[in-house]
Amino acid sequence: MSNMQMDDPKMGEMAHWDPRDLLSDLTVKQILFSNDYRLIALKGIFTAFIMLAFGGMFAIIFRTELAVPDVQFLGARVYMTLMSLHGMVMVFGFLIPLVVSVCYYILPKILGNDRLLWSGAAQFSYWTLIVAAVMLIIGRPDFTWTAYAPMSLRTGNDLIWMGYVAIILVAVSEFFAGAVLFRNALASKNGWKNTPLMAWASGTIGLLFMISVFPLGFVGYGLLSDWAQWRDVAFFDPSRGGSVKFFLYVFWTYGHPAVYLPFVPAIAIIYTLMPRFLGHPMWSYWSGVAAFILLAIGAMPIGPHHFQPLHTVSGEYERFIQILTMLVFIPSVLHVFNWISTLFMAPIPDSARRAIPFKFMIFSIAFIVYGGATAYLNGQIAPNSDFIHNTYWVPAHFHAMFFGFSGQMAFAGVYFLYPYFTGRMYNQALGNWHFWLWQIGLFIKITGMGVAGYLYFPRWVYDYLDIPGWANAQLAITIGGYMVALGFLIFLVNVFWSAKNGKEVTGDPWPVVHDLKAAPAAQPAE
Amino acid sequence: MENALGIWGSQAIMMAITASFTVLGIGMLLAATMMKRRWKPSYMVEFVFIGIMLGLAWYGDFTSTKTYAAYQQDLNAEEKMVSGNYDGKGEEAFDSVVTVITFQWGFGFINEEEEISRNALVVNAGETVLLKILSNDVIHGFNIPVAQITAEIDPDDKRELWIRAPDEPGKYLIQCVNYCGIGHSQMKAWLVVVDGDDDENEGEGH
Repeated sequence: MSNMQMDDPKMGEMAHWDPRDLLSDLTVKQILFSNDYRLIALKGIFTAFIMLAFGGMFAIIFRTELAVPDVQFLGARVYMTLMSLHGMVMVFGFLIPLVVSVCYYILPKILGNDRLLWSGAAQFSYWTLIVAAVMLIIGRPDFTWTAYAPMSLRTGNDLIWMGYVAIILVAVSEFFAGAVLFRNALASKNGWKNTPLMAWASGTIGLLFMISVFPLGFVGYGLLSDWAQWRDVAFFDPSRGGSVKFFLYVFWTYGHPAVYLPFVPAIAIIYTLMPRFLGHPMWSYWSGVAAFILLAIGAMPIGPHHFQPLHTVSGEYERFIQILTMLVFIPSVLHVFNWISTLFMAPIPDSARRAIPFKFMIFSIAFIVYGGATAYLNGQIAPNSDFIHNTYWVPAHFHAMFFGFSGQMAFAGVYFLYPYFTGRMYNQALGNWHFWLWQIGLFIKITGMGVAGYLYFPRWVYDYLDIPGWANAQLAITIGGYMVALGFLIFLVNVFWSAKNGKEVTGDPWPVVHDLKAAPAAQPAE
Repeated sequence: MENALGIWGSQAIMMAITASFTVLGIGMLLAATMMKRRWKPSYMVEFVFIGIMLGLAWYGDFTSTKTYAAYQQDLNAEEKMVSGNYDGKGEEAFDSVVTVITFQWGFGFINEEEEISRNALVVNAGETVLLKILSNDVIHGFNIPVAQITAEIDPDDKRELWIRAPDEPGKYLIQCVNYCGIGHSQMKAWLVVVDGDDDENEGEGH
């Protein structure tokens, strides 16, 4: 498209790039070090797929172990290592880098800069994360992603320091990713009253990244220091004068904003794709802006709801956290309200109904509702002290939010970008298979986890008693997990097959066509 | 069996609210994508919606605080309690008092006669039991599904919970729900409920 349209506030509803094949004549040097925003983004996207493959493989192995009670083929240590790596790789290696990379790809055009500012920082962020991932794989921590001290200091693994260093490196990497998002949001050509909602998302979440990673870095440093006994008085280890409470507060000061790090960019992708597919603006611009700001403010202080059943949080403070947790529900609901109203406003074009990214978007909204509604219950102390805390109920909640919503929305973004960077369209049939396998698999998996949690199935166990309901729920989750894995394999086949054999796309790959029967020529390529 | 937290009533309402929200959201999404009719809501609709949510947040806080406070009222006030402002009834109000030591990886139960059981908390059917829980090493979780209560115990801390034992004699699960190291999966014990009138059954747990 021409540069004349760059400052048009309607940018978000227009075609952003000319489809072209970026992949086939890449040199190794370009892949590794090019600061072209598209190449940085594509590198991040494909690395995230590798991470998803690893994290998913770990999950498939331990889900098989959990399918039936009392049958073991993994020991506790192997199970816990796979489990810990699954959590860390999926959140830090797959989900956050994927949504951020999709934003890197979209931001330069939508903001009118036509390049990613501070792309060197994005490059640095990428490589830091790679080093962290390698250290995690070598160090094989088995202390889960929360690394609760002093348990995480007493693993009997000589290489465990690599896990602590990896935590610091993740913090460094996320800091620079946040800085890039923030910098680009500020540079929007349209002025803050007209800037696309993705800029508001990048600005608020970039800031949240930059602030919240400091406690995470300190957690890594404190664990390393306590483990190596650098100081006479430990930070966290109570046997040497440290405080476990201190650990919990520091960790969750990062930990709660952290759950929004993959969440907000995914929301931003919806605000970009929805007007594009529907061919009209969002229902409300300012409702979206307000929701982004409220979410960023509300995210910071509510970390303690993650350890509420600990005695540390009590009395009026506990109540403050409870109220704030229920209030932070509101900005998310404002987003959902905005999306559904936008869908309701005008007839949905046939072209959108047919597009795989649009389908993923609609179902990711369904999953944010399915997983998000339970937040109202989770925030309350009384049910939290009953069946919610540390049972499978919480994994059901965050798999719906992280995978059902954020992960699927990131995949919608990748499907959307696919013709732009390959010059070809994905295969529609394979896309549909991927889509339905994921919706059904995820629904079974998440519902199974919710049921198991309601029956007090504890988290982080590699074997369990044959208590009524437990084995059935676990078997269901495992079946759902297999379906998700199969869907991902089909997606990979689609990506590689269609890059060579898909129908070539010229011009706008996503034309808005209201009646496909009347205008078959404009039908999106298959 | 009577719920220790006594939250079955309010909890059911909260579950219903959560379920209604899910149904409303998915229903509207379906309507927006499937129905022929189009609708552009005004800002007033959103403001009303926000109002409803503020009301629900108030209601959730009110109910949760009320039920949880009612539960804590029955705990005795120990000087070590962090908030220190419970005006509970004292240990005498409970039929029995048990000290629970959590460690990597198991539970130790010490009853009022100083008898220690490694993995069985033996109580009489229907009695109220005060549990004073300590952690020896790392953060542990403590959950008795049948009593519908969960707590987290850190090594600097000391917690008190109370339960009402089931009326039905039998063996009920006690488990750690917080990951506490490699033996976490094995960190289980039994709540052994014996018929109160028949003393011979005591200590039968294994």
